[in-house]
Amino acid sequence: MIRGIVIALFILEPPREDPVTEGRKLSIDGTKLSIHGVLQVEESDRLSELLEGHRKAFMSAGCFDIDFADAPGIDAIPAAVLFEFANSLKRAGVRISRLNAAEAIDNLFKSFDDNVSRVGSSKKLNGLHEHFEDLGEAIATFIESISGLWGFLGNTLNTLFDTVRHPGRIRWQMVFYYMEESGVRAIPIIATLTWLLGTVLGYQAGYQMRAYGAETFMPALLAYSITWEIGPMLTAVLVAGRSGSAYAAEIGTMKVRQEVDALSVMGFDIFGYLVTPKLIALICVMPILVLVANFAGIIGGLLAGGIFLGMPASIYISGLSSALIPFDIIWGMVKAIIYAVIIANVGSYMGMRVRGGAAEVGKATTGAVVMSIFFVIVADALMSLLFVHIRPGISM
Amino acid sequence: MAASDAIIQVSDLSGGWDEKLVLKDISLEVKRGKILVIVGKSGCGKSTMMSYLLGLNKPWKGKVIFDGQDIWESPEVLEKCRRRWGVTFQSGALLGNLTVLENVMLPIKEYTDVPHEEMELVAYSKLETVGLADFADSNPLEISGGMQKRAGLARAMALDPEILFFDEPSAGLDPVTSAQLDELIISINRSLGTTIVIVTHELASIFAISDRVVMLDPEKHGIIAEGTARGLRDTSDDPRVKAFFGREVVQAAEGRS
Repeated sequence: MIRGIVIALFILEPPREDPVTEGRKLSIDGTKLSIHGVLQVEESDRLSELLEGHRKAFMSAGCFDIDFADAPGIDAIPAAVLFEFANSLKRAGVRISRLNAAEAIDNLFKSFDDNVSRVGSSKKLNGLHEHFEDLGEAIATFIESISGLWGFLGNTLNTLFDTVRHPGRIRWQMVFYYMEESGVRAIPIIATLTWLLGTVLGYQAGYQMRAYGAETFMPALLAYSITWEIGPMLTAVLVAGRSGSAYAAEIGTMKVRQEVDALSVMGFDIFGYLVTPKLIALICVMPILVLVANFAGIIGGLLAGGIFLGMPASIYISGLSSALIPFDIIWGMVKAIIYAVIIANVGSYMGMRVRGGAAEVGKATTGAVVMSIFFVIVADALMSLLFVHIRPGISM
Repeated sequence: MAASDAIIQVSDLSGGWDEKLVLKDISLEVKRGKILVIVGKSGCGKSTMMSYLLGLNKPWKGKVIFDGQDIWESPEVLEKCRRRWGVTFQSGALLGNLTVLENVMLPIKEYTDVPHEEMELVAYSKLETVGLADFADSNPLEISGGMQKRAGLARAMALDPEILFFDEPSAGLDPVTSAQLDELIISINRSLGTTIVIVTHELASIFAISDRVVMLDPEKHGIIAEGTARGLRDTSDDPRVKAFFGREVVQAAEGRS
């Protein structure tokens, strides 16, 4: 019989020295776990180690008691570990009892009891279905914003004509500020990129045309493509990226901080105050930027011809002068004005659409760039189709 | 006994922003298990004081001692201390791309290795404490300001901190919601024994919750009065203290008329 007790003791009490009990906060006596002091978050791992080590003993004894007599409180995380462990025993038919628990501890376990059914049912934001939802919403928003933009365009043009009739109302200081921000500061990047594009285009075109002995037409091809398409288009894309987004962010932030509301309450004309200066500035600088772009692109072509194709500069320039007429340059500038109206309007409109918090500003900025480029290309396609015949000297 | 009585001891602390002195030679004790309210006019250095207590900035001079340890002794000490603090920010400061529940689970994930079920259980229980269990799956940006603050409080409490800091808990809340939040703060203090430090200038809150009030002043760059809220209101001769607490008289008079 004594042997039996000794064996039973070995089963219940593992003979190894338990490192967990060393801190004396936890002790296991038979089927009773006693907690001394406030069990803290850091001790959760040791607790669960200790409990798992004795799981078999509790199972075979059929009961598990937790004694809180010495514990004034317990942190929620070790309590949850204890709770889940006890629950898993309970499911296996073990009888669980909490002894001498203070009110706070009892309340904590009660709250676990209330909430245990919720565990595992939680949703996540940005689940897969939400992405599809977002996609549909994005398309709906896009369509809705096109119609909104149309009204906005009418509004700004109206204000613009109004201010042109009364130029004194224009905030020239802001106009010059935006001219510098969106125009002068954009020159380096626009010149560099169109120059590179002109070089690449000149080289590629000349290389292909040489196979047919037609490389002397390279200057003409380059001049047309740059003045009609690449110059205005690349300028528009860069300005949309630099300034359209900045306009959306600026107005969007003002909207979030209720500055726009403050202005309207004070009786300001929002369009005249926020949108018109940007619009006038862009209308003034975009044609000049296109001129710069055209010039840089054509210089790029000249370099390509000279370096890669061995074309003397005189031939390149005479090729240009026989192909280009002033109309080509002016047409690019006219396009630039239309793009300026699009970019200033879309940027401001997207800023005005901002409702709520800072995250919306980021969306508005992205939207401004994407929409501006979209409408610039649509406008470009329309103009190319409709007005290709108006160039003097083209007959079909 | 003194060491265990005060959970935070600030001694001879001076500091400010850039070259501008805001706080000069501040000494202050936060008693364990009590609610300390830091009050003062705008610009008196309440937020600066808070940033020093939280170890967000290092003071120019002086020490902040938490539970017998200088928090600037080493980065590890600061890290360890932070685990034992909970902070509730003015706006709640919940992450917008996580649900309310995930926000509450965030510190638990960061500091412990317990299984996911336990984390959720604790998070739900904390949300229940602040009365938001039904909003666990909500987007934090779509619940009201008061709820955001309570969710922020649940997150601050996730690891059972020994001390909870509140930055302007009543800012932007209506009086009723604000009073509910005050009650919640008191019940946390009473039931869990958590020490609480609050920066506020809401008189109703100050009288409702404070065990002790410390008043800072922008001209003196320091503490001009210290005591219980009622004691300061009734007995202080300092005109600045009178002016601050005097507002309550006006409010009460308006209530009567």
